[in-house]
Amino acid sequence: MPLLEVQNLQKTYRLGRVSVPVLRGASLSVEEGEFVAVLGASGSGKSTLLHLIGGLDRPDRAESVIRFQGESIYGMSAGGLDRYRARTVGFVFQFYHLLPELNVLQNVMIASMVRHGFAFSARRTGVRARATGLLEAFGLGSRLRHRPAELSGGERQRVAIARALMNEPRLLLADEPTGNLDRKTGDAILDALGRIRAESRQTVIMVTHDAHVAARADRVVKLEDGCVVAEHSRPLV
Amino acid sequence: MLGQDLVGVSSIHSTPVYQILLTRKYLTSKIMPLLAAIAVVLCTAMVLITWSVMGGFLKNLVKSGRTMIGDVAIVWPNVGFAHYEDLIEMLEADPMIEAACPMIESYGLAHLPGDRTELVVIKGVDGPSFDRVTGYAETLYWKPLTAPHPKDKQQRDWRNRSHGLWEQKYRDGLGLKEYDANTDRQVGAAVLGIEVSGYNIRELWGGYTPGVVVVPQTDGTTRDVQVLMFDETITLNLLALDGSGRTVDTKTRKIPVANEFQSGLYDIDKQTVIVNLDVVQDMLNMDQAERIDPDGVDDPFRVVIDPLTGLESLGAGPAMLIDPARVTTVLVRGVDSEGDPRLLAERCREIYAKFAAKHARVPPAENIRISTWEDQNRTLISAVKKETGLVLFIFSFISLTAVILVLAIFWSMVSEKTKDVGVLRSIGASRSGVAMIWISYGLAIGLMGSLLGGALAYAIVLNINPIHDWMGEALGLTIWDPRVYYFVEIPNEVESDKAVIVMLGGVLSSVVGAMIPAIRAACLSPVRALRFE
Repeated sequence: MPLLEVQNLQKTYRLGRVSVPVLRGASLSVEEGEFVAVLGASGSGKSTLLHLIGGLDRPDRAESVIRFQGESIYGMSAGGLDRYRARTVGFVFQFYHLLPELNVLQNVMIASMVRHGFAFSARRTGVRARATGLLEAFGLGSRLRHRPAELSGGERQRVAIARALMNEPRLLLADEPTGNLDRKTGDAILDALGRIRAESRQTVIMVTHDAHVAARADRVVKLEDGCVVAEHSRPLV
Repeated sequence: MLGQDLVGVSSIHSTPVYQILLTRKYLTSKIMPLLAAIAVVLCTAMVLITWSVMGGFLKNLVKSGRTMIGDVAIVWPNVGFAHYEDLIEMLEADPMIEAACPMIESYGLAHLPGDRTELVVIKGVDGPSFDRVTGYAETLYWKPLTAPHPKDKQQRDWRNRSHGLWEQKYRDGLGLKEYDANTDRQVGAAVLGIEVSGYNIRELWGGYTPGVVVVPQTDGTTRDVQVLMFDETITLNLLALDGSGRTVDTKTRKIPVANEFQSGLYDIDKQTVIVNLDVVQDMLNMDQAERIDPDGVDDPFRVVIDPLTGLESLGAGPAMLIDPARVTTVLVRGVDSEGDPRLLAERCREIYAKFAAKHARVPPAENIRISTWEDQNRTLISAVKKETGLVLFIFSFISLTAVILVLAIFWSMVSEKTKDVGVLRSIGASRSGVAMIWISYGLAIGLMGSLLGGALAYAIVLNINPIHDWMGEALGLTIWDPRVYYFVEIPNEVESDKAVIVMLGGVLSSVVGAMIPAIRAACLSPVRALRFE
């Protein structure tokens, strides 16, 4: 049984009076430990696919199904979906989306605060140690007290990845994680992701429009006009 | 199943740690929450100061109004009722009653120095017993002061000097008697309300000084004459009534003024003249008197003296009766000054019923008028209560601006933090958890603003008189003119229950102001929030 199964995913957005179909029956299957790159042009529905897999949005139609370990995530209650996002999924965004008022360490720990709720206080020491360990692994050990505004783009993205990994998610969803970075910094980020994969067999779905970036994945899924049009097992470049 | 299998069963809905962290960070990193808190501080302080001052004003008014009437009045107007000493004795024997005193209340014309005549309310009382019931001695104005009034910085108050004179005036006023050098005996005297004559000038420091009148002279010049009302004589004109209430005579008498009183209520101080009870009873034909018994038979053993010859002889004459002295009112003071006066009035009615059963020629218990001090001052008290309520309503309405301000500031902050909402939702925060960040934020601002506002109001009200004095001296600004408001001091007491109500209102307003943006934040789609620019 695949870890994740996506079938006939459909999603339409409304822009004023105009309906814009973004996904038109996309289907996808991801095995545990796999690194899948979703490649597509701008507007092809890559990010929407990622948001739906991550439980941030809901598909339009009941026949659209996303199953995680065989169970439909959109059959969950709102609370269940919140828990799914808190514990099963980790998001990395193109624009980092760090909370500007919090320092680096707090930005990473907040994922655990949300997950553990009242129990966080009892776990504080362990959580802090894990957050510090992750940040040190990403070369940010000396930047723990810095605010996001004091970091470079690459550093911010590394903090975002550390936050996404904080709760040891089964599935890491990365939405163009290098899209806002120069090639060298982007490569460093991808190297870091690669290291994580190698160490923990982390399942990763990464969205990108850059074939060079997609080449790092185990499998590349090509999305065009809201449908999966091709799949390649390594490299396209 | 999946939700539980994958993520465990523990709830993440109520997650206060990240909410507390973010609330604290949002509070300390922006100027806007500070502005919202200042708005709450000012509104809380404004409402509490207004309520305290107006409430204190009402309290003073009630206290002053009660001063001259005791707790309960037993009244049979015009003709009055007899055997009142017996009624007073019965009342004072009751454990609920501290003291009772007789009084005659009537209207009269007072001819004042300067050839002025005023329609006045006459209260005929026995000074010492009236004092036991009403605290009358406290209201006597011309008496020695133990310390100068704090506002009388130049010590212009006459009462600070000639203590011997004021001591005598105080005794005369309390006893409602004055020594008459012509007859070498004490005669009944009057005590005027301090505003009755119109010759006393109210100073800015709150006290009175005798005024000066310009008297035209026969040679065409004028002469300034200082009118010392407490040394003057007035002429009283009263209408005497017979036992059935018919006017039988107009009585005029010159009465020395022993002192003046200040109850604190302008109407009373402007219209009331307190006169020795004996004098009023005499003028109104309400004193003890003999009358012919219409049903009586001639007494054959009656000694008759011939007015022309002076010779005594036994002869027939009309049978005589003694009409006892009468009063229109008996005032009563309860043992428990804070107790419900209605209970006291009920007790007085029961006692009066027993009294009426004992005496044949007194009004029956079902007809006698028994009223509390609240009944008598109802119009005035309810007017001030309504005024206080109106002012509070207006100020509370103005305070709605705080709610709107908090709402506007929070709305703007939620807009600014839309991306944060998206991020929090993406890491698993629930809608209610996100809403709670903003509600906690409003709660924190409300608590902070209300506590500081309460403290500010307390400090201002406690020092309102020095602050007012300073404003007068430094800026020439006198808002509370004692000549207008009739109380020398601005009330400066903050009642804790009022403070709690106002502060809770401040907290609630802030939470309500935060609620709408909080709901908006909670309802934001995470995807739209993340894409928000």
